[in-house]
Amino acid sequence: MSEPLLRVENLKTQFFTESGTVRAVDGISFEVHEGEIVGLVGESGAGKSVASMSLMRLVEDPGEIVGGEITYRGETLFGLEEGPDGELRERDEMLSESEMRERIRGREIAVIFQDPMESLNPVFTVGGQLREFIELNRDLSSGEARDEAIRMLREVGIPDPAERYEEYPHQFSGGMRQRVLIAMALACEPSLIIADEPTTALDVTVEGQILDLVDDLQDRYDTSFVWVTHDMGVVAEICDRVNVMYLGEIVEQAPVDELFYDTNHPYTKALLDSMPRPDRTVDELDPIEGVMPEAIEPPSGCRFHPRCPDAREVCTRVHPETLEVDRADGYPHRTACVKHDVFDVDYDGSVPLEPGDEAETRVGGTGTEAGADSNSSSTGEEEPASPDGGDPQR
Amino acid sequence: MSTPDDPIGFGESDLAHGETLLEVEELTKHFPADSGLLAGVNLEPGQFPPVSFGVDQVEAVDGVSLEIKKGETLGLVGESGCGKSTLGRTILRLLDPTDGTIRFKGEDLAELSGEELRRKRSEIQMIFQDPQSSLDPRMKVGQIIEEPMRAHDMFDDEGREARAKELLEKVGLDPRHYNRHPHAFSGGQRQRINLARALSVDPDFVVCDEPVSALDVSIQAQVMNTMEELQAEFGLTYLFIAHDLSVIRHISDRVAVMYLGHVVEVAEKEELFENPQHPYTKALLESIPVPDPRESGARGVLEGEVPSPQDPPSGCRFRTRCPRVIAPEEYELTDEEWGHTRAFMRAVKRRTFEPMTAADLRREFFDGDLPRGGAGEIVDEAIGYVATDRRTDDERGGDGDEDGVTDDDWERATELLLESFAERSICAREQPAYELEAQHGSDPHFAACHLHR
Repeated sequence: MSEPLLRVENLKTQFFTESGTVRAVDGISFEVHEGEIVGLVGESGAGKSVASMSLMRLVEDPGEIVGGEITYRGETLFGLEEGPDGELRERDEMLSESEMRERIRGREIAVIFQDPMESLNPVFTVGGQLREFIELNRDLSSGEARDEAIRMLREVGIPDPAERYEEYPHQFSGGMRQRVLIAMALACEPSLIIADEPTTALDVTVEGQILDLVDDLQDRYDTSFVWVTHDMGVVAEICDRVNVMYLGEIVEQAPVDELFYDTNHPYTKALLDSMPRPDRTVDELDPIEGVMPEAIEPPSGCRFHPRCPDAREVCTRVHPETLEVDRADGYPHRTACVKHDVFDVDYDGSVPLEPGDEAETRVGGTGTEAGADSNSSSTGEEEPASPDGGDPQR
Repeated sequence: MSTPDDPIGFGESDLAHGETLLEVEELTKHFPADSGLLAGVNLEPGQFPPVSFGVDQVEAVDGVSLEIKKGETLGLVGESGCGKSTLGRTILRLLDPTDGTIRFKGEDLAELSGEELRRKRSEIQMIFQDPQSSLDPRMKVGQIIEEPMRAHDMFDDEGREARAKELLEKVGLDPRHYNRHPHAFSGGQRQRINLARALSVDPDFVVCDEPVSALDVSIQAQVMNTMEELQAEFGLTYLFIAHDLSVIRHISDRVAVMYLGHVVEVAEKEELFENPQHPYTKALLESIPVPDPRESGARGVLEGEVPSPQDPPSGCRFRTRCPRVIAPEEYELTDEEWGHTRAFMRAVKRRTFEPMTAADLRREFFDGDLPRGGAGEIVDEAIGYVATDRRTDDERGGDGDEDGVTDDDWERATELLLESFAERSICAREQPAYELEAQHGSDPHFAACHLHR
C-alpha cells in the first residue's frame, strides 16, 4: 500500500488542570490515505475533538501534546526525541509554528467546525471573509479573490452567490453558514479536511444536503477527510474507515462494513445496540450501563470494563493494546479487547465480573461525575437501579 | 417494583386507557414579528403617505388539530422552526393561543385563566430539553422535586419529602441524593430529576420538549427506557417533541409531522414510517443517515430552505420545495414537461445558475424542447429575461451592462414563472387535508397533500 497521507502514531494530549492531569487523548494511532474519509467516533468526552485539534497543533493551554508522532506527506508535524539529558525535546525536522501557519493550516489541512456561527466573524460580510482567506492563502489579487470567492459560494450550493456575498453571517441560515465554511475549507484545495461534527447542529434534511455536497466535492477534488462525529448513521453513510474512541483511546479500528457487520469490541457493539433505528422499530433498547468516567483517573485495566457486559476479572488488570485481529480489503481490523485470541491472557479462564464487582471498581475511577455516581454504585446490591442506568431488566 | 395502585399515584384517573384525553382544534399561535415603540409603523416609499401601520405576524402555529388519547405517546416531529415547541407550549398555556380550542378532559384550556388555570397545571406538566438550565442550581434536588407539590398545596412537609424520595427511586436515582445540588449530577441524571419533578404532582399528561436531544446515545437509551417504564406505571400520556426521527420511532405510538406551522401528516408509528404519504415526510425519512453501511438508498434531497413563517406560501406550505408539486391544470403539461418547467422555475427563483445564452438554457433545463402550447410561450418569455443574448436594448431592464443580467431581469422572470405556474397549481390555491386508509394498524391516516385528492 502507498504511503499514507497522514500518519498518527501513539499520540498523547493531556490537560494539566488543578484537579489533576486529564489524559484526553492517550496513545492513539491511525492513518489517513489519499481520497479517504476516516471517521473518529465516540460519545462526548471520548477525546475525539482534542485528537482532531492535535493534528493541527491547535491544542490550547492548559492542554499540550506530550507524546507521539504526526507525519503528513513525509513532513513531521509533531515529533519528540530524547535529548542528551534524557529529557524530551522537539525534533529538528518538526515544523515550526510559523511553518505550520503558513504552509500547513488552511493550505494543506483545513478544518470545519461544528458551530458555523462561532467560526464566522459577525461584523464582516461572508464574502469579505472568504475573499480575505483566499487572498492571503493563494496570492491572488483582491479582484481575482473576489471572483474566486463567488465561484466557491456557487460551488457549495449557495443560491444567488453574488448577492449573498455582501451579506453578514446572521443573514444566513445554519445550513448556509456550514456551506460557507465548507467553501472556505475547500478554497485552497487542501489535501485533507478535518471536519469536527460539521452536521451535528443541523436539521436532518440540511444534514442530508451537506453530506451529499461533501460526497460530491470529494469526488471532484479527491480530498481526504477526518470526520469527527458521534452519529453512527453519518459514519455508515460517508466513512470508508472508522476509529471508535472511548476515554482517550481507540478501541476499534476497521473499514466501515466490518465495523457494523463484524463488530469486535463490546463498546462498539453496545453503542450500536443502544441506538434507536430510523429504518426499523426496535422494541427494547439495550443501553450501556453507567456513564463514561472522566479521563482524569481512568479505570484500571481495560477502560471500558466497569460498563462492559463481557468483562472478566482479567479485564480489571490487563490494559489491552489495539491489536490487529483481522484484515479486510487490505486494511487491518484492530481492536483493544482481551477476549480475542491474539491477546493470549487467558480471558476464557478468567472469572466473569459480577455486577457488584463492577460497581466497586467504578468507585473512585471517575472525576466529578463520581460525586453522584460512586455513592449510588457502592450501594449496588441493595439499590438495583444503576446510577444513570435504571436497568429495566432487573 | 410497585403495583399500578401504588400509593404514589393518588386517585384513579377518570378516563379509561385509549379515550381522548386532549383534543386540539384549529389551534393558532401568531407572534408579532417586531416589538418596540415604532414596531407598528412601516416605511413604504412607493406610496403616499409613505408609511403603513400594523405589525407583521409570525405564523408559528397555524390551524393545528390533533387528538391525544389517554396512555399513548404522540410523537411530534419536525425541523427547527416548524413550530413544534410553540405548539407544545401553547397546549400547556405557557403561551396564549391566538385562536382555537384546547380541550383537556372536556374542558377548554384556552378559556381558562388565573387561578383556575394554575390549578389545572397539576394535571399537565412539562419536561424541557436542557437539563442544565431547567434546574435551579441553588436549590437542592429534594426542594426541586417538592416545589410543584408545594405550589399545589399537596401533603405536609413530611409527606412531600417521602414522596420526593420515592420518586427519586422511581426515576432511577438514589433517594439519598435528596440533599444534593443539581451540579453533582450528569446530564442524564439531571433529566431524571426533571422527570421526578414533573411527576411529583401526579399529572395525567406530560409534554416532553426534546427531553433526550442533549444526551449521548447510550444515556439517551437509558432515559427513554425509564420514561417508558414510568408511563406504564403511572398511566401517563406523553406529547413527545423531538427532531430525531429515530427517537420518535422508538418511543411513539402515533406520530405527527409538522412543517412551517402546519401538521402535514398524522398516523400510527408503523404506518408513518413504512407508508408515508406526504412528500415532506418522505423527504425527511430519506434524509436520515441510516446506521448501516450496506444501506445505500438514494436520498431525495430537498431543494432550498424553509420559507419565512412571516410570509408563508399559500395553500400547502411545503409546495415551494415539494418535489411533487402538482402541475397547474390549464396547460395540460406532461410529467416530463412539468418536471423541466418546475426545475427551471426554481432555478430562476433561487438564481442557482450563471447567466448563459437562450440556447444553452433550453439545453440545460429542457433538453432542447420547450413545453408545447401556452406554457412553452411563457417559458420562452422568461428565458428571454435571463438569457445573455436575447434582449434588444429597449427590452433590457434598467442599467444592465452588455451581457449582464440585472436584478430586475431576474425578478421579472421569477415573477412571470411563479404567477403562471406555481400560483396556479392546486397546491397554492387550496389548503390540503385528506384522511386516508392506513395499511398498518387501524387508526386513520391524515395527510395534508393534494396528491391524495
